[in-house]
Amino acid sequence: MSFIEIQSVNKHYGAVQALYDVSLSIAKGEFVTLLGPSGSGKTTLLKILAGFDPVTSGTIRMAGRDITSVPPERRNFGLVFQGYALFPHMTVADNIAYPLKVRRRPRGEIAEQVRAMLDLVQLGKFANRKPQELSGGQQQRVALARALVFRPDLLLLDEPMSALDKKLRFDLQEELRDIHRRLGTTFINVTHDQEEAMHMSDSIAVMNHGQIEQFGPAFTLYRQPANRFVAGFVGKSNLLEGRIAQGRFQAGDIVLSLPGAAAEGRVALMLRPEDVELAQAPVEGGKAALPAEVVSATYTGDRAIYTAAVGPEARFLVYGSARTGLIPEGSRVHLAFDPQDCLLLR
Amino acid sequence: MARSIFWISTVLCLAFLALPLLLVLPLAFNTSSFLTYPMEGFTFAWFGEVFGQPSWTKAIWNSVKVAAGAMALAVLIGGLAATGVTLTGRVLQMVLSALFVSPVVVPSIVVAVAFAYAFGRAGLSGSYASLVLAHAILGAPLVFLSVLTSLRGLDPDLDRAAASMGASRLHRFRHVTLPLAAPGFLAGALFAFITSFDEVVVALFLAAPESTTLPIALFSGLRDRLQPTIVVVALLLSLVSLLFLLAMGQMQKRGAAASRN
Repeated sequence: MSFIEIQSVNKHYGAVQALYDVSLSIAKGEFVTLLGPSGSGKTTLLKILAGFDPVTSGTIRMAGRDITSVPPERRNFGLVFQGYALFPHMTVADNIAYPLKVRRRPRGEIAEQVRAMLDLVQLGKFANRKPQELSGGQQQRVALARALVFRPDLLLLDEPMSALDKKLRFDLQEELRDIHRRLGTTFINVTHDQEEAMHMSDSIAVMNHGQIEQFGPAFTLYRQPANRFVAGFVGKSNLLEGRIAQGRFQAGDIVLSLPGAAAEGRVALMLRPEDVELAQAPVEGGKAALPAEVVSATYTGDRAIYTAAVGPEARFLVYGSARTGLIPEGSRVHLAFDPQDCLLLR
Repeated sequence: MARSIFWISTVLCLAFLALPLLLVLPLAFNTSSFLTYPMEGFTFAWFGEVFGQPSWTKAIWNSVKVAAGAMALAVLIGGLAATGVTLTGRVLQMVLSALFVSPVVVPSIVVAVAFAYAFGRAGLSGSYASLVLAHAILGAPLVFLSVLTSLRGLDPDLDRAAASMGASRLHRFRHVTLPLAAPGFLAGALFAFITSFDEVVVALFLAAPESTTLPIALFSGLRDRLQPTIVVVALLLSLVSLLFLLAMGQMQKRGAAASRN
């Protein structure tokens, strides 16, 4: 039984269409991320969910109830903004107390809840500071506490990490995931950062040009992308444009026999960089092998990143082990991979 | 080059704006009853004369009353207008803004005649109410502009954040928008007060002998008798304006600091 049900939502801004027939159902307690490049419609969808923007057509239901035209102040959704939107004239504690004051809760209860929330986000010491006296990461946590203190039915996060540096981002992602597990609230996060999406979410909706390209857990998106866009946007991939004919894939000089390939016609062959091996000796049976030349080799500590040229045009990205050093640029090698790991995309 | 331009413009500016004032003001302390140099001696007697003469004190008191009333009314009208305008669409916003600012653009003599005629018809001529009303209409555009500027400087996400937390539009205005736009309201209020306090043309048309404001009293004083009391009053007027301007500068500084984050 889905908790949030988005049905065939279309959104026009004048002549521009921002969302095309978007449908999505989200289970209670799920952590869902809307992932996409800028202009993909992910923020528009979030604004519609929050109630700031009306839909052009379509419906949004929460627990079976139609909330499409309910104003934001009556939705009971928490929101964390990209720029945090903390009230600069109030202290941290007053910011967090605001939604409870709006709800006219008794004073003692407010104080107690605010303290509990400050403890949850580890900002107990900063209760009486003004938001602008805090660091970006701390402001972010105040915004989170303020959006959760009134036990919202749904928490919406609009690119919450985009203003933070990489190290802090990782820590906050861990923290957010932990808070999600502890509270069990349904979270919907918007981001363009696929690492962030994969780190935190139960399910990811990949969006592009106002449509949902694929919705599923990170593993499915990565191993079984539905199309070229998802394959290219979620993780790194090698895409080789070619044709299928009689169970064989052909792209220029490259010919691979793929036993599972039933379809015919134009396709893209996808291969993840970690599924390919650079073999300096001829490869043993069961694996496909393509002769190639190492064009560039980069050492990053945890692994080696190679670009290998197959023929005049095709370039393959390959992740290899770097424990024994790099294979030098210009080496003649074989790209070895299991044909099972190849995915054909229409 | 840039330095010399800076100095030339500064000196010219001071010569044109400040020098005439500085030349006249010392005469407020002159013992002679003629407005002439050289000064014969130093005295505060003319101050005593101004505060002792009912015609001056009455005019001062009238001016303060009218300015305070006009300020309150202008803040109400201008503040509401600015708040309302920010809630409308772009085209309507332009049209409404132009309309609300129009009293500033129309020549004051035209406005004054219109007021005199209209208030005469309504049986209000010469009353405090007519002066307060007229000055409020002149001050409202200033409040409108100043409040509009500070409302536009607010992050729209603050209002959205408050809405998402369940706050009604009125609650949001009262607890989020108003405190953050307060510097704009205060600056507008000061503008409105000074405008009314200094206003001559409209007051000339509307004021009756018993509701004469300070600038009018000054004006007739100039015609009747050239005495240092006039300079004293001018000095007081300048001081009030200067104080208000300083207060406004302070407020804008604080407003800028508050809205920076």
